[in-house]
Parts: sequence; C-alpha cells; structure tokens
Amino acid sequence: MFAQFFGSFLLHKGLVTAQDLTVAFEEKKNTRMRLGVLAINAGLMTSEQVEHVNVTQQSVDKRFGDLCVELGYLTDNDVERLLSEQPTDYLLLGQTLVNSGVMSNADFEAAIKEYKEENSLSNDDISGNQSDKLSKLISGFYHFDTAANARIYTEYTTLLFKDIIRFIGDDFTPLGSSIIHELEAPHIVKQAITGAYNSITCVAADTAEYMAFAERFAKEEFTEVDDFVDATVGEFMNVNNGLFTVNESNEHGIELQLDPQEIHNHDKIVFENPAFLIPVSFSFGEVNFVISNG
Amino acid sequence: MALENIKVMIADDSMFARKKLINFISTLGVAEVIEAADGEEAVEKYKASKPNVVFMDIVMPKKTGIEAVKEIVAFDPSAKVIMASSVGTQNHLRDAIMAGASDFIQKPISNDQIQKILENTAKEVK
Repeated sequence: MFAQFFGSFLLHKGLVTAQDLTVAFEEKKNTRMRLGVLAINAGLMTSEQVEHVNVTQQSVDKRFGDLCVELGYLTDNDVERLLSEQPTDYLLLGQTLVNSGVMSNADFEAAIKEYKEENSLSNDDISGNQSDKLSKLISGFYHFDTAANARIYTEYTTLLFKDIIRFIGDDFTPLGSSIIHELEAPHIVKQAITGAYNSITCVAADTAEYMAFAERFAKEEFTEVDDFVDATVGEFMNVNNGLFTVNESNEHGIELQLDPQEIHNHDKIVFENPAFLIPVSFSFGEVNFVISNG
Repeated sequence: MALENIKVMIADDSMFARKKLINFISTLGVAEVIEAADGEEAVEKYKASKPNVVFMDIVMPKKTGIEAVKEIVAFDPSAKVIMASSVGTQNHLRDAIMAGASDFIQKPISNDQIQKILENTAKEVK
C-alpha cells in the first residue's frame, strides 16, 4: 500500500500527473527492477553515479552491476544483496515512472528521500509493509490525529485500503481528505455501524465510476446502474465493514453490529457528526469513501 | 447421496451475494437451489422445501438470520444451517451456534469452502 501513498505524494508535489500514475500503475505489472533504482533506494548510489554508469555502459559491453563494482560505487556483496531482494511495490512504481521518462533518476532520488524523511520511514518499514507504520502513514496523510476518535478513523481507513487492493485493484491514488457535514452524489451506498459506538460509512460516486467500481468487485460487466449494481457496491461495503467489526471485537473487545445497507440515488445525506471524505482516484475515475464517527 | 441429489438454500438479502453463490453452486450440479431474500422467507421456504443445507446471512430485514435459524431448528432439529456473514465476531459466532447453526463462515466466502461444505453434506445425507 506504500506505492499508492507514494504516488499520492508525487502527485501532490507536482512531479507526476494523475494520468502518469494511471499509466504507471498499469505498466508496473510488466516492469522489471533495475539495479540503479534499487541502489538509489538503498542509499548506496546517487542518481549522478547511476547516470554515469548508464553513460559508460553505452560504450562498453558490460553489465550494469559489474560496471558499478569496477567504478567503485558498489561492492560485489552490494550487487548480490540488491538483486536478491524482492522489489517492493513503490519501487516498481518509481522504476516505471523513470522508464517512461516521467521522472529522471535524480527526481526519483530526491522524491524517495523526502518521502521517507517526511513520514519517518526506513527501507525495512516499507518493504515489510508493517502495519504500525502503515497506520502512522495513513493517520498523518489524512490528519486523523485532529479527530476525537483518531484510532477508529485510522484503523477503518487502513482496512479500507487493504480491502480496495484485495477486491478492486491496486491502481489507485489516495487524494487529500476533507471534513464534510453532508454528502450529495448520483450514487451513494450507506451503512451504519452500531453498538459500543456509532459510525456512518458511505461509498459515493458518479454513474460511470460507480459502475466501474462494481464491475471490479463483481468481476463482470454492467451496462447500466440497476439493483444488482447497487447490491454489488453494497456487498463491498458490507464485507469491509464486517471485517472491521471482527477486528474491533478481536483486538479491542469492542462489539459492533452492522445495519443493512441503504441505497441513495441522486440524494443528499446529512451527517449528525462531522465526516471524513476520503476521495480515491482509480484508473477509471474517482470514488469517494466517507466515515463519520460519533 | 451424490451432489446431484441435494437441495441447497441461500438466504441473503444481498442480491449480489445470492447470485455469486448460485452461479458457483449451479456449476456443481446440485438438484436444486432455493433463494430467500430475508429471514421470514427463509423459514417459509425451508418448511416448504426442506433443503439439505442452508447458507444463512445474519443481517437481514424482517427476521435476522439468528431468529430464522432458531425457527428452522425448532421445526427440524436435524436442519443443517451454515451461517455465512461478514460479521464474524465471537458474539455472533456464539449466538449462531446457540441458535442451532452447524457452522459459521466469514464473508467473503471462497468457492472452495462452499464446495467442501456441499460435498460433506452429500456424504452425510443417506
């Protein structure tokens, strides 16, 4: 999931466009990691050194790794270790953006350094997809620490993104959140979580995006929004919220229930308590998620 | 009994959940798949058809899955009802078992889970 937030960081910094990210998320499936990007990420080489090796490689018939050792930038052990590590998702995204010319190696080096510093992340944190670091990243990204129930918002959103990756796809970019008091959209699915505390959760989107989201979850094609499409989006929400209640029960001893989902087409929902609007930009368009706790 | 002789009931208010289950179960060649969209309909259809196994959601309108399973088991103590819910908390699990459910599976349900349950049901039914 670090790849999606790294993509959002690049977008926010103006280093890439939303279109660049859409293309890169699609292309990264076929991207092979290059030693230069791995070495930059590990802090073993600078982008200038990588460029130097790239230029040198044009005039000699030698492998990139061998040249790095010959030029004194890496040891044999460094090369072996870097090549043996599994490429992480955010590195594949970075490599894809470098390959397509959207970013240079120097842009990537500066961006990855700033991203890690801003979020206090080490290489181990990112490659291990550690839950606590992920929660910290999400809480910081959405400024949940300003909310009274920061833990609930953070854990709900962390699970939501895991379920989006699991059931919809990983080709999305989280966009900045906002606080809302009402929600108006062509299609809204709402589900209340009740019990030890009460929350309202929603998925909202325009027609084309709503259908595309449903198509991904159902793994079938739709031509119009009908009851089945509503039920499909409703089931995504039900599964996600169900897993959330299981986590709350198992990890915190908090017992919650789910109300049946409500479908609101071309409607407006007014929240009793302030709600976090969490927009997510997919390759097929934008879908909004809402959580209000109180 | 072979799979082609067993009757299966799916009680879920989600049209999506019912369709996905029916689509898969149909490929296994069971005798009949009966649908119910709420707890009340589930009880009525159970009494009318006596399916060999029921997949029952918990959160449903009119009558919850827990209430429905109690009525079904009161009518037929040998009923095999599998709760299939997204809310697999310990409390729900306990309530379901106390109501008479045979098992509890957390949504999303995998096709493998369904197939195993149906094959076991076929073995149990004489």
